[in-house]
Amino acid sequence: MTTTMNGKIRTESLSFSYGERLLLEDISVEFADQAITAITGPSGTGKSTLLTVFNRLWEEIGGGPLHGQVLLRLEGRWQDIHAPEMPVSTLRRRVGMVFQTPNPLPMSLAANLAFPLKLAGIDDKEEIAARSREALRRVHLLAEVEDRLVSDARLLSGGQQQRLCLARALMLRPEVLLLDEPTSSLDPKACAGIEELLLELKESCAIVLVSHYQDQISRIADQVYLLGERTLLRQR
Amino acid sequence: MRKALAGLTIAFSSAATLLLFAAVLLFVGVIVFRGWPGLAPGLIFGDTRPLDALLLRRQVFDGLFPAMAGTLALVALTMTLAVPAGLATGIYLAEYARGRGKALLSLLFDILAGLPSIVVGLAGLALTIVLHRLFPGRIGPCLLISALALAFLVLPYLVRSVQLALESVPRTLRLTAPALGADKLTTIRAVLLPACLPEIAGGIILAVGRAIEDTAVIMLTGAVASAGVPRSLLAQYEALPFYIYYISGQYADPEELQRGFAAALLLLAMCVVMLVAAQWLARRGSLRRQP
Repeated sequence: MTTTMNGKIRTESLSFSYGERLLLEDISVEFADQAITAITGPSGTGKSTLLTVFNRLWEEIGGGPLHGQVLLRLEGRWQDIHAPEMPVSTLRRRVGMVFQTPNPLPMSLAANLAFPLKLAGIDDKEEIAARSREALRRVHLLAEVEDRLVSDARLLSGGQQQRLCLARALMLRPEVLLLDEPTSSLDPKACAGIEELLLELKESCAIVLVSHYQDQISRIADQVYLLGERTLLRQR
Repeated sequence: MRKALAGLTIAFSSAATLLLFAAVLLFVGVIVFRGWPGLAPGLIFGDTRPLDALLLRRQVFDGLFPAMAGTLALVALTMTLAVPAGLATGIYLAEYARGRGKALLSLLFDILAGLPSIVVGLAGLALTIVLHRLFPGRIGPCLLISALALAFLVLPYLVRSVQLALESVPRTLRLTAPALGADKLTTIRAVLLPACLPEIAGGIILAVGRAIEDTAVIMLTGAVASAGVPRSLLAQYEALPFYIYYISGQYADPEELQRGFAAALLLLAMCVVMLVAAQWLARRGSLRRQP
């Protein structure tokens, strides 16, 4: 397949199985940088699995084998995400992920935000505080939680929790953001807030969004793919 | 027909709950009714001044203080031995063990959970005899061996509660930390264990309850009727459950039996205090984690 100048993620002849069940077959595709790429399709076709291929999270769940290549463009160069010079922890810091269900860690809001930075070896308190404020501001949560950063993150409302998870994913300034139906458990108002936010965020990273909602996809997606029959078909 | 069956189920469930509640109420009521008159000022410290007894300046010969101190020391030592081992084994079974090995180990701990405490007590006694032969005059029935045997007794409760709690963590929460770049150990330490704290605390509470009330194990491994406050791990000791057992079989007059009921009331109170404290700690730990 031909590659474009603004591509960010690429797969070459990607096939993936869960044991005997072949989920993805011979997929060669390229997702653009600074754009929202939506993946849609019937339930159970492997949309979430495809996302976990991009940050190798499937390795934590079990499954495989994976055949073919997954490449990420870093510093202007395509790099194989399975190459030995790309440790999985480094990959996951550059490719952030937000899940369908809000999943704050069992700790305070501040600790949730500091967690990825501490994992990356960033311990400077001032830097952590500055980045936390910046991430909360970007997800429009700062004003709501500024006075209770030390309280348990699980006490926030569902919409606030999901925005916190998004802020946590942004703490390491990822180059790719994988979103697995991030608005499915939210009310329409919170959902609209997240959509607005994604349109802002795409200026700084590539967003791959799994969504069932066609109206949402038509509102915010730049590229749309349908996953069905084990392969990806470009729709827009 | 289905409606009648549903009604019957509700009626049976309600009746069973009421019956159980009444039985607990009756049990506690009898203990309080019979034990309350025995809660005299001298019950715990006898003729000794409380401060002198607490600072171990003078021995208490006619009060329950040595038995209370022995029980507390025994439970503390038992949990010190059992909690780390139970946590580690539970984590291993939930997070690392796979396939047949896991099934076999799980079965083993289920069998251990059903082991009668007298059998564990006999194993403790056998260990005491072996150690006594190896170190004649230095090791006999003592606090340490009782705690070891009790730790063995409560270990399955701890292991299974930790394992089940970890296995019930939702998959998305389990994947959150790895998605941020955390390794397995960090995920267990920073996410999974804190998320399971209430369930793990529940397992510890069960284990404390089991350890504090056991008599069969301690009567074979170190508890005696009169030994004073234990001064070392290798000393014999007194314990409230053993005192209650001893008095109920050997009492000479109604007054002595009343002291036995008062001791049972104290044991019940100690259990309640420990359970409330453990629950408070768990709630505090799970809801107020600071950055």
